[in-house]
Amino acid sequence: MSSKQVKLGGESRPAVPSENALLELSGVTKRFGGLAAVQEVNLIIRPREIVSVIGPNGAGKTTVFNLITGLYVPTTGEIRFDGKSIVKLSPDRIVQAGITRTFQNIRLFNNMTVLENVLVGQHTLLKAGVFGSLFRPPYVIHEEEKARERAVELLGFFGTTLLERQEEYVMNLSYADRRRVEIARALAANPKLLLLDEPTAGMNENETLEAVKYIRRLRDELGLTILLIEHKLAVTMGMSDHIAVLDYGRKIADGLPEEVRNDERVIAAYLGRQTKEDAAEE
Amino acid sequence: MSINSRWLRVESDTRKLLMKWLVALLVPVAIFTFLWSGEAIENNVFLGIVAPATSLYTSSAVFYAAIFIVIFYATVIALAGYLVAADSDRRNPIEVWIDLLFYVVLPMLYIIVTSNLLIGLSLSAITWGIYFFARKRVRDLLHYNPPALLEEVQVLDEQQKANMMNRARAGGFWFATAFAVISLIVDVIFFLSGSLPSVLLIWVIVRTILLPVAGYFLGQLGGSVALKRVITQNENGNGNGEKSEQRGFGWRRNVAQVSKKQQLEHLSKSRAREEAKDFVPNDLPLQSKGASRFYLTLLGLVVLFYPVIDPILFGSGTKGRITSYGDLGYYVILALGLNIVVGFAGLLDLGYVAFFVIGTYAWALVGSTQFTVLTGIVTNPQFVSWLFWPMIIIAALIAAAWGVLLGAPTLRLRGDYLAIVTLGFGEIIPAFFLNLDKYTGGINGISGIYRPATPCIQPFFCVDWNGFDPTPYYYLILVLIFLCIFANVRLRDSRLGRAWVAIREDEIAASSSGINLVNTKLFAFAAGAFFSGVAGIYHAAKLGTIAPTDFNSNDSFIFLAMVVIGGLGSIPGVIVGAVVVYAINLLILAQLDTFAADPTNFLHVFPQYIPNFTFSNIRNLLFGIILISIMIFRPEGLIPSARRRRELHRAPDAELIEVGALDEPPGSAAFEAEVPVE
Repeated sequence: MSSKQVKLGGESRPAVPSENALLELSGVTKRFGGLAAVQEVNLIIRPREIVSVIGPNGAGKTTVFNLITGLYVPTTGEIRFDGKSIVKLSPDRIVQAGITRTFQNIRLFNNMTVLENVLVGQHTLLKAGVFGSLFRPPYVIHEEEKARERAVELLGFFGTTLLERQEEYVMNLSYADRRRVEIARALAANPKLLLLDEPTAGMNENETLEAVKYIRRLRDELGLTILLIEHKLAVTMGMSDHIAVLDYGRKIADGLPEEVRNDERVIAAYLGRQTKEDAAEE
Repeated sequence: MSINSRWLRVESDTRKLLMKWLVALLVPVAIFTFLWSGEAIENNVFLGIVAPATSLYTSSAVFYAAIFIVIFYATVIALAGYLVAADSDRRNPIEVWIDLLFYVVLPMLYIIVTSNLLIGLSLSAITWGIYFFARKRVRDLLHYNPPALLEEVQVLDEQQKANMMNRARAGGFWFATAFAVISLIVDVIFFLSGSLPSVLLIWVIVRTILLPVAGYFLGQLGGSVALKRVITQNENGNGNGEKSEQRGFGWRRNVAQVSKKQQLEHLSKSRAREEAKDFVPNDLPLQSKGASRFYLTLLGLVVLFYPVIDPILFGSGTKGRITSYGDLGYYVILALGLNIVVGFAGLLDLGYVAFFVIGTYAWALVGSTQFTVLTGIVTNPQFVSWLFWPMIIIAALIAAAWGVLLGAPTLRLRGDYLAIVTLGFGEIIPAFFLNLDKYTGGINGISGIYRPATPCIQPFFCVDWNGFDPTPYYYLILVLIFLCIFANVRLRDSRLGRAWVAIREDEIAASSSGINLVNTKLFAFAAGAFFSGVAGIYHAAKLGTIAPTDFNSNDSFIFLAMVVIGGLGSIPGVIVGAVVVYAINLLILAQLDTFAADPTNFLHVFPQYIPNFTFSNIRNLLFGIILISIMIFRPEGLIPSARRRRELHRAPDAELIEVGALDEPPGSAAFEAEVPVE
């Protein structure tokens, strides 16, 4: 693996040995005018890991996601996926490279059916262009058929509920179902890395347990690598291989769940300055 | 199955259905045949065959009219068979009869009375608006709640399918027989009163025997159309029964467990209403997909054979009407093209007329003496006329290239800015052609544009494009419209079409799903410009002269009105929208002054009592009022796409759904404001 990176040559590599890394952020900083939303963040994710990014509100977690998926360009720093830099790529090229994501507030195509949403997700895998669409040569017919079959199969990953609703418009589905459809759409592009932004937001206990189960299955059965933003500490502690903690745009901790849970800086960040002030007053 | 049960013995519940549909269909068909001109066409065809000297028709016209009549009545009989088979019989016959009265009978009567197709249709459109409104009120008053669609999805076995086919045959047979009997009685009355030539009695007898026989087989045809849309036992989610067994392991097998019936039962009410149209037995067979096959056949028939039947239906003035329909045709193509840009992809293009102008000049500069002025090469008009056909594609490609040129720098702009830039382009291009007078003839435009040329194979096929007969242009635009509709449908149902809808729904989500925003939008722009180029070259060739003052940016707004009024993103919608806007703007409003000059017309009061009043002065005001009214009462358009109707008209009985964290739809400004940067 290291020899592969040497061949790319000419670009500075971080000091930490990053053999085997699927996704690597080095010194990533993003400024919006005077505000540094993300500062000097380093992150390494290895294949088939489930990594969580946690932190209080406003810590910069979704910004990191947006940086990885190309919605923002880092002010400084480097992001490498599979050894190649993805910093200047547009979001659709990043999907082609193998990274897809879901959104915190579920951005589905509301007036399309469940099946159509998942079919859109396969956009990068299909090859039909203007002429293919107009004349429908055999390869296009074949590819559409296969795409449809694959979309239905992906819906089946979540059991039979989505299959029963495959022709329903997504705006008529329940919240939990919409989350699943968004994940199915992200899976449709055959990614290597899946970014889930607060996948259990708004869910009750049962739904959360279900979500944890299918997220694990994404790694176990589909071989995906998963990067999560999550607020429910029980979820992250139970599921992650390692956890990165952000606060005010900086990474303040990164390690195994037990280490992070007991780290004082993490506790201070979540409970706020009050603890420090209380301590000072004593 | 014995012959008896197939033919004449009819069960009581089928009898009810038969009565319902026989009355429903016989009334309009009888009106068409006896009050209007069906009978006249029929008789003339027969006379043309038997006694050519007395007939009004040339032999070729007789031939075409004969085909029209045969296919027309055959379609109606097959439709009768289909309706009897496809009806689930849960709804009251009165409902169907009143519906048909307003949908079909009233428009026919309007057209007969006004003797003008477009005015009759426009009056019908107004009446339909009032009818929908009133019907909703009356239903509320009577507390009438029609049974929910798709409440119980019926899965049919072989026996039930056979019953359905029987009903279809019975429907076709009895309808044809009833019609034969009625025609017989009417013709006997005509004969006895002396208005029927005795030679036609032969035809009357032949017809009375032929119809019931044809009815049996045509009913069978209707039944087979119905059977194609039936849900059977072994259909799973993908519609193939056997394949499901071979699916993979684990969760992949889930696919096999969900049948089509289960899917349909889980649909929400609004979605069920849409899907219900596809399957039979149906509560509203008149609105089902199967029935629309028949309607399209009838419509296609009328459109295709119009030049032949127009003289009988409307009397003199055929040529003028066909010329104006040829013009209407290129408006339809423009609407279809703009539909791709605005309707499918959601890009606001306010300067669409620019591409149309480019198309007209593309042919004008090549296919006229202007070419000699430009290049110094003298061309042979006979030869260049042949170039019209490849030039259709070339002119369209030139327009598309300009679309890409315009789009490449501007499609990164957000909606409002894109609209302004396109508006500017719509102003620049006509001015560009106006000012380059050395090359383009400036304000005088270009005249003497060559017409198309086709091979002349006497006596089968020899078309005169240069004469005063507008018929060749009518058929040319029909072919072009057909190709445009074909292209639109293909694009809409493809990977590209899905990408356009995705972009329209939520650009960020689309981009994050792998869609290249700029390229996809550019394709939309180029496709729209392509069609407008086609319309342009047709217009130049048909009219023979063009001038830059013919076009102004107002036209862009009229095209936009066609698309929005018709139904954004809906292909039949924008065609109807083009017809309606054309009819209102260019036919009716333009002729109001002529009507008002006639002292017997009620419009005469206006110029009589108001000094200096002309309708042409307030024409734009009237047009604006009509547009605004349509937008208030039916903002989703005349024939909206299902998507658009959902976007704009939340049904009152829609279930309340918990959408989750935010109330704002993604992509709107309010949503952006709420999404934390984090």
